[in-house]
Amino acid sequence: MTGIVIAGATRSFGTVRAVDGVNLTVGDSEFFTLLGPSGCGKTTLLRMIAGFCELDAGEIRFGDKRIDRLPAHTRNIGMVFQNYAVFPNLTVAGNVAYGLKARRVTAADVARRVDEALALVQLAGYGERWPHQLSGGQLQRVAIARALVIRPQVLLFDEPLSNLDARLRVSMRGEIRELQKSLGITAIYVTHDQEEAMSVSDRIALMQSGRLEQVGAPAEIYRNPTSRFAAEFMGTTNLVEARALGRGGAGMISLRPEALRLDADAPAGWPRLGGSVAHVEVLGPITRFDVRLGDGSLLKVAALDEPHRTLTPGTSVTLAYDPARITVLP
Amino acid sequence: MRLAIPHQQRLPLAIAALGFLFLGLFLLYPLFNVFSASVLDGEGEKFTFANYVKILGRPFYRGAVINTLTIGVAATITTILISVPFAFALARLPVPGKAAIIALAAMPLVLPSFVSAYAIVLLLGRAGIVTQWLQSWGIGFGSIYGAGGIVLVYTLTLYPYVLLPTMAAFKAVDVSVEEAAQSLGSSPRRTLWTVTLPIVIPAILAGGLLVFIETLENFGVPFVLAEDMPIFAVEAFKLFVGETAPNPSSAGVLGVLLIAMTSLVLLIQRRFLSSRRFSTGARSAPPILRVGLGLRILATTYCWAIVLLALVPFFAIVVLSFMEFRGPVLHPNFSLANFTALFERSTRPLLNTLMFATLAAVGVTLVGVPIAYVVTRMRSAMASLLDVIATLPFAVAGTVLAIGFVVSFNSGWLILTGGPFIMVLVYTVRKVPFAVRSSSAILHQIDPSLEEASISLGRSPLQTFGRILVPLMLGGILSGFVLTWVTIASELSATVVLYSGQWRTLTVVMFQALEGGGGGIATAAASTLIIVTLLPIALLYRLVRRYELST
Ligand SMILES: Nc1ncnc2c1ncn2[C@@H]1O[C@H](COP(=O)(O)OP(=O)(O)OP(=O)(O)O)[C@@H](O)[C@H]1O
Ligand SMILES: [Mg+2]
Repeated sequence: MTGIVIAGATRSFGTVRAVDGVNLTVGDSEFFTLLGPSGCGKTTLLRMIAGFCELDAGEIRFGDKRIDRLPAHTRNIGMVFQNYAVFPNLTVAGNVAYGLKARRVTAADVARRVDEALALVQLAGYGERWPHQLSGGQLQRVAIARALVIRPQVLLFDEPLSNLDARLRVSMRGEIRELQKSLGITAIYVTHDQEEAMSVSDRIALMQSGRLEQVGAPAEIYRNPTSRFAAEFMGTTNLVEARALGRGGAGMISLRPEALRLDADAPAGWPRLGGSVAHVEVLGPITRFDVRLGDGSLLKVAALDEPHRTLTPGTSVTLAYDPARITVLP
Repeated sequence: MRLAIPHQQRLPLAIAALGFLFLGLFLLYPLFNVFSASVLDGEGEKFTFANYVKILGRPFYRGAVINTLTIGVAATITTILISVPFAFALARLPVPGKAAIIALAAMPLVLPSFVSAYAIVLLLGRAGIVTQWLQSWGIGFGSIYGAGGIVLVYTLTLYPYVLLPTMAAFKAVDVSVEEAAQSLGSSPRRTLWTVTLPIVIPAILAGGLLVFIETLENFGVPFVLAEDMPIFAVEAFKLFVGETAPNPSSAGVLGVLLIAMTSLVLLIQRRFLSSRRFSTGARSAPPILRVGLGLRILATTYCWAIVLLALVPFFAIVVLSFMEFRGPVLHPNFSLANFTALFERSTRPLLNTLMFATLAAVGVTLVGVPIAYVVTRMRSAMASLLDVIATLPFAVAGTVLAIGFVVSFNSGWLILTGGPFIMVLVYTVRKVPFAVRSSSAILHQIDPSLEEASISLGRSPLQTFGRILVPLMLGGILSGFVLTWVTIASELSATVVLYSGQWRTLTVVMFQALEGGGGGIATAAASTLIIVTLLPIALLYRLVRRYELST
């Protein structure tokens, strides 16, 4: 199995720098995610690895083998596309066998490995079906089986779940993660969904405008964002000026909604802030509410549901925050 | 900057290079020679505009320009006038037998128009059957020779060019736009004029321009019907055949002028129509309107009358080919003599027609499909250039391209004149635009990520083309093949310039019989041609039906 090294990868389209000097090392068997807003260059970077996009500068290595000048069909990569890209002119088995036949695997081995791969994605017995007879989730499983069966060095996923409905998305991402771990294949996964990224990844690279903003384990980026963009893109946060919290320095402070509590629930040592409730949303397990502070700024707060407490807009409240959970941003 | 060609662009670049080579040699080079013939003196040595001055100074050729344009405009107008109500009736009114009407209405597109012209002569000409019958009752009517007859035949054979896109446009109109107009207080009639018609106008004009270009390039219809009236394509042919100087400068001038006219029309179309496409984003076809019985009967009669009227000439030819001719004079007895006369001399013309059509249709597919691949999959200036060049044959009359071929390939390192391949090549080049258009339409429907999936699974781009794209395009390629085959089988305008000796085709036999007054052989050749055309279409139709039923 293989680690991936990307060094100084750059690509422009006209005046747009889609990928701008990206340096990245992905560990062997790691589940690595590229996360970022639309147009930040995730797909472009992934397609560079796959061989569908030339690099203007830089290089890409699998282990110590440089691959960025190899033709795409010789790179031994399994790729799963957003729109499945299942061949409509082949059966499910034909689709899964496609890459094996290209590798001149013997017919008996092809049949065995196709069956294994289909069983792995829980499609045993679907081999003779045609793609147009399958649902979106099943098509995506075919696409995954087809990419796995060739035993690729690297698996690439470009927003594989974005065409599925919300529930299926949640269960499929768990399956993908399990498959990847059990097979131990290095995987790079592209998504713009922060929750999805956090749930599946060993590490995440947060991208913006073609550059890497921050790379780290999901919890690490969430808890210690190094920039305003990282703090805001990874979940919800309150960005307040240090002065407003009565602290020195000119920087901004990121204060997560769950680090704020109502006065009554908070330990005595936490700093307090006074304000009035502006807006309340009861979402079930948690309640979100906004509090307007004396200087006019709004703070978003999230609290676990308390059956005995009902907040109404206009009520004056005192908030407390956990001093250990604030992040000072440059 | 790296100079090496990125590997994912190698296949499209290789195809593009071959495409440029083919079109450069067999399209641009002959056209260049036509152009240079027009600006060189009779000996082909000195540069001069004298040829243009000479031709345009002659009232005869100025008349040819005016006649050709007038007939083209008139035919375009009559075509639009009969097709738009027809299209509306098919799209929005309760007319019984729509599927049959649409199938029959497409037939004039593949049937040879000069056959229709010839049938009109046999029926309504000076010695025509209908003419004589009417005369026996003391009824006379104006001559069908000249502009009137030509416009009539053009209207009957070219109306599908306007009908089919206009019908599609009427069906694509989003009803909610009409409903919006009516909720704003507009009556249904006013809505039709102020909302619906403006939306379909681009489709009507696009179809109308196709009709106009077809009339400019057509050789067969005026050859049969124009008599003394000078028409451009015919005069270019006559000049070329009659020219004795080594440089065909006069024919060159007419050729260049003809290309200039058609290109101008095409440019106008690109300029004004491409920016005026109204897409209304209709989710489903608008409902059939509820109308009174009177209008219903009227619409039904109208649609069926036009469809059948356009096919009557072809039907008549088939019937007449089984009657006895003495010279050009017809006798109403059943007889197989015409076919015996046609085939006992030689079956070669029939075999040549079948062989040339097959070879050229294979050629068109081999050239057109890969070019369509480059044009749809590569976004670069080079791909656009290839697209433009591959569309160019559309603006070149068959007569002119054929003249270019004769001038280019009758000496030097590549001699084609006198052989069969010159015809196959000209047919191939002429039909390339149609293959590129139809294949591009299919390729636009195929998601490029299918190709990427195949490549990432280990198939090279070339293998991917063969294993994924070709199977996915097969249905479309096959119907394109049959349509080109059929239209090539009845090609006349380039064939009459190029045929030689044993390489005559059915159309040439018919052409020569017309010149020599052999009505019997002409009708037999024409009806053989009709059968040769309709048979593959019927087969294709059955194949497509079976395919649709099985999936
Ligand atoms: N083939 C191309 N030609 C021109 N510009 C391109 C091309 N591919 C990408 N770009 C541009 O490069 C930038 C990055 O695109 P990319 O597709 O990598 O974004 P992304 O992060 O995958 O976005 P999304 O989440 O919307 O898929 C965008 O500004 C895009 O417009
Ligand atoms: Mg993307």
